[in-house]
Amino acid sequence: MPRAQWPLRNGRPNIEIVLTLALDGKPSPRTLLADTGAGSRQAGFDLILDEDDCVLCGGLHLFTATLRGAYKGAFPVYSVRVDLPSLGFAKPLRVVGVPSVPPGLDGIACFGFLNRFQYGNFGDRDSFGLEA
Amino acid sequence: MSNAILDINRELASRINAEARSNPQSPYANKFVGIANGKVVVVADDLDELDRQLRLAEPDPRKCCGVEASRDYTEVHEIWRLI
Repeated sequence: MPRAQWPLRNGRPNIEIVLTLALDGKPSPRTLLADTGAGSRQAGFDLILDEDDCVLCGGLHLFTATLRGAYKGAFPVYSVRVDLPSLGFAKPLRVVGVPSVPPGLDGIACFGFLNRFQYGNFGDRDSFGLEA
Repeated sequence: MSNAILDINRELASRINAEARSNPQSPYANKFVGIANGKVVVVADDLDELDRQLRLAEPDPRKCCGVEASRDYTEVHEIWRLI
């Protein structure tokens, strides 16, 4: 089974995704906090990204999600194509667009997304990985 | 771009979701419905299909929206606060 692993960043798990810019079709990598505490399995969204990224990638507006906790209020949810080349993953995902993301990162991979895969350190305590 | 199309699309999406939630026999119930320029142009079984077909029907995403009919959009979702 294909597996991708990334070194911890500031001791925290993170993953790298690739977005595609609508303007020129160029791939644009983003590093996201892997956060099982972000939303539930039923939340209906997979990622949290800067709303500018959602728009720059030609995101289709889907609905408005109401959040509480680290983010409070109503935020737009877009369908955005996301790639994880090392896992052979290329699909549109439901992405919450927010005005600001965690410092030093480009957004959050929510539990609904992580739970599509097997996830963990796979025996390496200095990394976090996903296995398809 | 005028917000008129966006408003019309969102109003239609809201009506479709209300219909699907009140009537399980609705053709939109539990479907992914794509709207462009104020009209339903796609009824799909999953987000993948909705995204693909809606972009074919209307390449400008600013003129489109989608709705996952039957979903409760009033639900509040917890994002645990970072330390």
